[in-house]
Amino acid sequence: MARIAPRVLRSYLFGGQVPARGCLRRSPVRSPALQRYHGTQAPLAETNSAPSISIPFRKQLKDEAKRRKVEGFGKKAKKDNQKLEDWELTVGIEIHAQLNTARKLFSSAASTINDVPNTHVALFDVAMPGSQPAFQKETLIPALRAALALNCTIQKTSKFDRKHYMHWDQPSGYQITQYYEPFAKDGHITLYAHDGIAKEDGDRIDIGIKQIQMEQDTAKTISQPGDIHLLDFNRVGLPLIEIITLPQIHHPSTAAAMVRKIQIILNSVDACVLGLQSGGLRADVNVSVRRRDGEEGENEYSGVKGLGKRTEIKNLSSFKAVEDAIIAERDRQIGVLDAGGKIEGETRGWTIGSTETRRLRGKEGEVDYRYMPDPDLGPVIIGQDLIDHLHESLGVLPDHEINILVDDYGLTTKDAMSLVSLNEGGRHEYFRNVVDELQRLAPKQDLKEAGRLAGNWVLHEMGGLSNVEVDEEDPLRMTSDGDCIIPSTELAQLVHYLDTSKITGKSAKKVLSELFSSGRSKSTKDLIDEAGLWFTPLSVAEYEELARSILDMKVVEQILAGKDGKINFLVGQMMRKDGDGRVDPQKATVVLKKLIEEFRE
Amino acid sequence: MVEVHLPRSAVRATKVALKEVNYRIRPFAQNVFISRAELKQEQDGSVADRQSSGEAVGKAKEPEPEPEPYSAQKPPWFPVRPVAVKDNIATADLPTTCASGILKNHQSPFEASVVEQLRSTGAPIIGKTNMDEFGMGSHSTNSFFGTVTNPPPFDRLSVGGSSGGSAVAVAQKLVDIAIGTDTGGSVRLPAAYSGVVGFKPSYGLISRWGVVPYANSLDTVGILARSCKQVFKTFVSMQEHDPKDPTSLSEKSRMRAFTSGSNRWRELSDQNFKDFHKLRIGVPEQYNIFELDGRTRQSWQRTLMLFQDLGCTIVPISLPNTQQALPAYYILAMAEAASNLSKYDGVRYGTRSQSSDGAGDVLYSESRGEGFGDEVKRRILLGSYALSSDAIDNYFIKAQKVRRLVQQDFDRVFSMPNPLRDPEQFDLSEMDESILLNNKLGPSQVDLIVCPTSPTPAPNLDDIANQRPVDAYINDVFTVPASMAGLPAISVPLKRRPTDSPRFDGMQIIGQYSDDYRVIFVAHELEKLLKIDNASGQWRKENRESLN
Repeated sequence: MARIAPRVLRSYLFGGQVPARGCLRRSPVRSPALQRYHGTQAPLAETNSAPSISIPFRKQLKDEAKRRKVEGFGKKAKKDNQKLEDWELTVGIEIHAQLNTARKLFSSAASTINDVPNTHVALFDVAMPGSQPAFQKETLIPALRAALALNCTIQKTSKFDRKHYMHWDQPSGYQITQYYEPFAKDGHITLYAHDGIAKEDGDRIDIGIKQIQMEQDTAKTISQPGDIHLLDFNRVGLPLIEIITLPQIHHPSTAAAMVRKIQIILNSVDACVLGLQSGGLRADVNVSVRRRDGEEGENEYSGVKGLGKRTEIKNLSSFKAVEDAIIAERDRQIGVLDAGGKIEGETRGWTIGSTETRRLRGKEGEVDYRYMPDPDLGPVIIGQDLIDHLHESLGVLPDHEINILVDDYGLTTKDAMSLVSLNEGGRHEYFRNVVDELQRLAPKQDLKEAGRLAGNWVLHEMGGLSNVEVDEEDPLRMTSDGDCIIPSTELAQLVHYLDTSKITGKSAKKVLSELFSSGRSKSTKDLIDEAGLWFTPLSVAEYEELARSILDMKVVEQILAGKDGKINFLVGQMMRKDGDGRVDPQKATVVLKKLIEEFRE
Repeated sequence: MVEVHLPRSAVRATKVALKEVNYRIRPFAQNVFISRAELKQEQDGSVADRQSSGEAVGKAKEPEPEPEPYSAQKPPWFPVRPVAVKDNIATADLPTTCASGILKNHQSPFEASVVEQLRSTGAPIIGKTNMDEFGMGSHSTNSFFGTVTNPPPFDRLSVGGSSGGSAVAVAQKLVDIAIGTDTGGSVRLPAAYSGVVGFKPSYGLISRWGVVPYANSLDTVGILARSCKQVFKTFVSMQEHDPKDPTSLSEKSRMRAFTSGSNRWRELSDQNFKDFHKLRIGVPEQYNIFELDGRTRQSWQRTLMLFQDLGCTIVPISLPNTQQALPAYYILAMAEAASNLSKYDGVRYGTRSQSSDGAGDVLYSESRGEGFGDEVKRRILLGSYALSSDAIDNYFIKAQKVRRLVQQDFDRVFSMPNPLRDPEQFDLSEMDESILLNNKLGPSQVDLIVCPTSPTPAPNLDDIANQRPVDAYINDVFTVPASMAGLPAISVPLKRRPTDSPRFDGMQIIGQYSDDYRVIFVAHELEKLLKIDNASGQWRKENRESLN
């Protein structure tokens, strides 16, 4: 399956009119190889939102490992755990993500993020009497990409409905959404241990996605002192998708992992704008608990029967909030039920940093949304050709990318994870560039071999580089296109020299650090020349001299007595003695054996 | 041969400096208008001609002369005629209030497509006509600006609604053509009561962009005039696809619909008269209701006899779901209205209560409570109830099913297939018992349906005041089915004899979807027949006894 870079897609899909913004932005220079095979997310133009979109995978991995270790030792034996043995938690999540499109869902006003307030507003956006919606069919493209990436079945016919509620950020008094007939249904997402799911969920878990629907965003309220609210209608009518999962999540950390993974997937298929933390993604969670041993609950949600009464926690805006709010609500519900109380179906809120959810409105205060098919909007008919085309151009999803790195490039899962997540994918691009160059330099080398070599240097050796003078987040200045201070061709050259024994490993590390500090001004070859680091193999005489200098008669006797393994000890001694790393263990062994045999007489 | 005028293409060149129009707002005689452009009147009462418009007080009231290419194309038969527009159609110069308190000062920032089209033909829009608030009413009594009335001595008779102002403006010859909107009869009913021609086109043929919606799936822009000829010309100039209206029939569909058999009726000339006698005219037995006024029934018979005299075949037909159509219509219309009216909160436009938004604990309750009239509030409540999670299955969903049945009723009786739907096989065993079978192949089919527009002539306003609100809804019983099915229908006035008040009956001609031209054409013929008949006195002599 050929992967077409989204930027390439964009250029012919809409005459290049889709804005390069959010996860779509990338700089123009890309290696042809990468354009063909894969692409990853790019940095954002807005500095304030840039850090939030990247998921600190390394940190996640570390934390994950740490946590599992701790749990493995069983040190977290608290009274809560006793409770959790008796109670089963069930969570369903609704995630809202803003689609990456040039225009609003029902008007040709441009979608912008941080423009001057109320500068991109069409008549329909402010519900001017007599104005009508004009469905912008281009918004389907990112929505379909998201649905396909989440393994949904695309509905050939879908419809728009009005969801009524009054608020100043909702000009029409209703939101246009897809309630009766959403455009995508019956998907699923697979979470692996490395995604950070709960230990109890094992190596992998499938979470069903009930449906994905398109809907309108609301206006932005800017609150001023003195109970004044200013409205920015630039945001009103922007296209969102709402992803509704089945209530199949039973652990808070799995819920957080799920939201995080959905964000990674949406980013990787260029479906969305901005990340969860910066408001482009919002999550609502439905939480219920039931006794594991007791009778089944009476409630049925999304076709899942026997559940306890659920509550909904709205507007969670970070992964941590998702996890913490679920834990807090779970504990509250267990507390209520243990005390003989009853859970009311209600909407609750969560404030970051808090330990409890708070009641927003009860069932009696629940809004009846009075869903009605929008009489101005006809059904959306999606052709199979469009679905097929988008499916083919969807490219490689993160999970698949990791599989390729493990299976074809010989990396460990952990290294592969780090590679795709570092520098918003830039490290991965860089890695591929280095491997490509290595393959060019040594066409006969096994891809796994080249991959492992390059992986070691790109991740571990380069990861150890740091600037002494300035404490930088990213000392390599790696861009998402895979450009950094050390050109990939130079690193490949260096690795190649090492692999073909033109230089020693020790020298190679020295050269790498020189490459880093010289900042592109010198080539690998020049640096080796200058420092005279070219490896000159030891002559047989030199080997013998070296061997004699370390020979220990005790060991020799042991070897002669049949303990052949001891010879490695002597080889090690030779290597240590040399100091320049020029000793080839195989040659050293041969020389040593010869010398020891001489002693036999 | 009628040349189809190309309105939109000319409109940009002719757009006037709209903001410069001087206008007056109420009060006007009989509350016909809500606002009026100040036009310089010539002695003969016609609108000032273009050359003098520059010096006129209310300058820029008419379009600038059109550029040459367009004026060359301009059909010579379409003289500049003053036009009035119902006040729920957006104009950029005059206010657009929908006769509601909540929009009493609303100035639309844009213009409806139909207004652009009218302006491009050179027609000056001289005023915005009064109506029932947001189109909700049958007598033009539910207006924030007061009830629309006939001139004395008929001032206690209903003018019909909701496009009452438009109907009276035409009847009083204040304008030649008035634009109204017809959701369930709002053009046809006032036309019938006021003695003018009122035409509701097929749904989706005339753009609704800029028409403040009452019930989007039923709303159509209608035309009121004193003759079918004027209706026809206006219809031709407004009938085109509008990309801004998502429910506007596409150019391709129009092509298909208009070439599927009825196209030969597109010319309003006598050439087609030779085909006239072949017409099969359906008379729905369900329309012969107990409440039908005796003399209205006579007018109906008279009309049918005129057609019969010309050789048309009169065929009794059955529309079994007629009875359910009215309640279903009101559920659907109110549900959509409740939804559409939720945008009026005083935040972005419209009036706003002085008290806090949250007063009484519900956001906007004060602003909406003060801004809307009683009938509007009633319909919002009923509509909201019909959509509520407890009631939607029993009301809204059922009503949608009834709507489909009503459409099927019509598709079964019309010989012309509905171009929007695949031909449907009607199983005889499933057919309602009341349907008469013509032969073993099934019920007879007809070209057009002729029936009264309203069961009674214009009622007295005092009687209406004593009615329960629901009783007023019965006036729409004959107009609603065509609206539910999106069909073209025209109301032609018949003078009642003897000429004591009320003076008019409306006779309605309903055609299959997209058969608009034939509907207007046959109405035009009927108009001529009535004229001859009235003049000759034949009707009185020959038929009166047989009817009595």
